[in-house]
Amino acid sequence: MPNNVQFGAHSDTGCVRENNEDCFGLAPEIGLFVLSDGMGGLVYGEVASRLTIDTVLTHCREAGRNSGVPLLGSYFPEVSAVSNRLASAIRLANERVYGTAQENAPGQAMGATVVAVQCDGERMSIAHVGDSRAYRLRCGALEQLTQDHSLVAEEVRQGRMTQQEAGCSTLQNVLIRALGVGEGVDVDVTEELFMDGDAVLLCSDGLTRELSDAQIAGVLSEGDAPAIAAGRLVELAKQAGGNDNITAIVLRKMPAITAAFARFKKLVNWRQRPKDQS
Amino acid sequence: MPKLVLKFGNSVLREATVGSQEVSIGRSPDNAIVIDNPAISHYHARVFNEQGRLMLEDFGSLNGTFVNGQRVKMVTLNPGDSIGVGKHTILVTDSHDPAALPSGNGPAKAAAPKINETVMLDTKERREFLERVAATGESAQVAPARLKVATLVVRKGRTSQKEFMLSDKLTVIGKSGMATVKLTGWFAPKVAAQINRREDQSYYVGPADKVPSVNGQVIQHAVKLSPGDIIAVAGVELEFVYRD
Repeated sequence: MPNNVQFGAHSDTGCVRENNEDCFGLAPEIGLFVLSDGMGGLVYGEVASRLTIDTVLTHCREAGRNSGVPLLGSYFPEVSAVSNRLASAIRLANERVYGTAQENAPGQAMGATVVAVQCDGERMSIAHVGDSRAYRLRCGALEQLTQDHSLVAEEVRQGRMTQQEAGCSTLQNVLIRALGVGEGVDVDVTEELFMDGDAVLLCSDGLTRELSDAQIAGVLSEGDAPAIAAGRLVELAKQAGGNDNITAIVLRKMPAITAAFARFKKLVNWRQRPKDQS
Repeated sequence: MPKLVLKFGNSVLREATVGSQEVSIGRSPDNAIVIDNPAISHYHARVFNEQGRLMLEDFGSLNGTFVNGQRVKMVTLNPGDSIGVGKHTILVTDSHDPAALPSGNGPAKAAAPKINETVMLDTKERREFLERVAATGESAQVAPARLKVATLVVRKGRTSQKEFMLSDKLTVIGKSGMATVKLTGWFAPKVAAQINRREDQSYYVGPADKVPSVNGQVIQHAVKLSPGDIIAVAGVELEFVYRD
C-alpha cells in the first residue's frame, strides 16, 4: 500500500430521506476506495449498495493475494492489470445485485451506482457506472474525472442540451446505466495520475447536486486532513438542502518527505507516551 | 463574388475569390489555398460554384472539414460561414455583404428544480433512447471509415522517439519509468504532463509536475486536443495529429 496516501470518508442520510442508501468501503492495504449509491424501494437500495461494496472489496482483496483469480468480462489492453481487475470486480457486483433483485424483488427496481479508485504508485485506476463521481484537485483546479451515465449528461454530450439546461432539468435523476439492471454492464475504466499534493474526491449525487465545483474546490484546497474535509463537504451539502443521501471519500497524497516526517512524529509520540503517563 | 479568407488565430494569411474556377484546399503546393500543416491532407477539400450556389466538398480528408463546427462532406456555403480545417479557419464573405456577427445571450440561470429519487430509465424508454443516440452517432460519421491513430509528433526537444502513438488511455509525458513519451533531457521532470483518452475517443491534455501550454495558451486544467494542436511542456514541443 502506498503509505503516503491519506484518506477519510463521511456519509449522511441528509435532511429529507429516511434511510441512507449510500455506502462506502475502504481497503487502504491495497489502495482501493469504493462508493456506491443504491436505489429501489423499501430496503432494496441499501442492500444493493452494500452488496456492491462488499463484492468489489472482496474480489480485489482476493486478487491481491492470488493473481490466479479469474477475470470476469473482456480484458482491455489499453489499461493496466489493476484497472482490468477493478472492472472485473464491478461486473461481478452487477451479477450479484442483478441475481439478488431477480430472486427477492422480481419486477422491482433495484440497482446501484458505483465509483471506485485504486492507487498503484503514481497511476490510479478509476472505474464507474452511474452518476457517482470522481474529482481531482491539482494546483487549486478541480477536474471531474468521470462522465455521468445519466440522461441529461448524455444529452449534453450529444449536443442536444447545454450544461446550463442540464443543471436545471428535472430529469437529472434518470440514469442510463446502473448495476443490477441487466445481466451484464458496461463499466467505464480510465486511468489518471495521482501525484504529490493532489486531492481526490469520490462522492454521490447528493453532494454534487447541492454544491458547486467552486465550493468543492474551496473545501479541498483548505488542506485539512481528509476525514475533516469529507465531513465538511457533507455538512455543507446538508446546509444547502440535503435532499438526498450524501457521501464523500477524500484522498490526499502527501509528498514522500512529509509522509516520512509524519511517521517519524508518530514514532516519537508513541515512545514519549509512557513517560508522560508516569 | 464570394471570397474565402484564410486565417490562423487572428492573422489573415491569404484571400481567394471563387469565380468559375474552383478553389482547392490542401497541403500540396498545387492547391489554390496551400496550408502546410500535417493536420491537412494533400488534397483536403474544394470550394466551387454550382448553379449560383457556393458549395464545399471534403475529399475524404483524414482530419475532416468543419462548417460552423459541424463536420461535413458536401454542403452549400453562405456568407458568414466559417470553415475549419486543422487549426486554420477559412471565412466565407461576400464582397457586398459583410458577414453579420452572430449575437446571442444565453438564458439566465433558472432556479435549481426539485429532483426526485434516482431512477433507472425503464427498458423500453432506454432502448428507444439508445437507438436514437446510435442513429445520431452514425449520421454524424460522414467521413469514410478509416483507422485513425492519435499520434504526437515531436517538433522540438529531446525525446526517445520522433513520434509517439497514443494507444493507452493514460499517456504520461516525462522521464519516469511509466512515461510513454520519454523525455531524455538532463533536467527533464519525471512526470511533466498527462494525456487521457475519454470514453468518446477524444483526447485531453492536462498539467502534472509542469503546466503545459497548448497553442501558446497556458492551461490550468485538462483541455481537449484537436488535430494540429501544439503542446509545449518542459522544453519539448509536440504536435497532436491523426495518422492512418
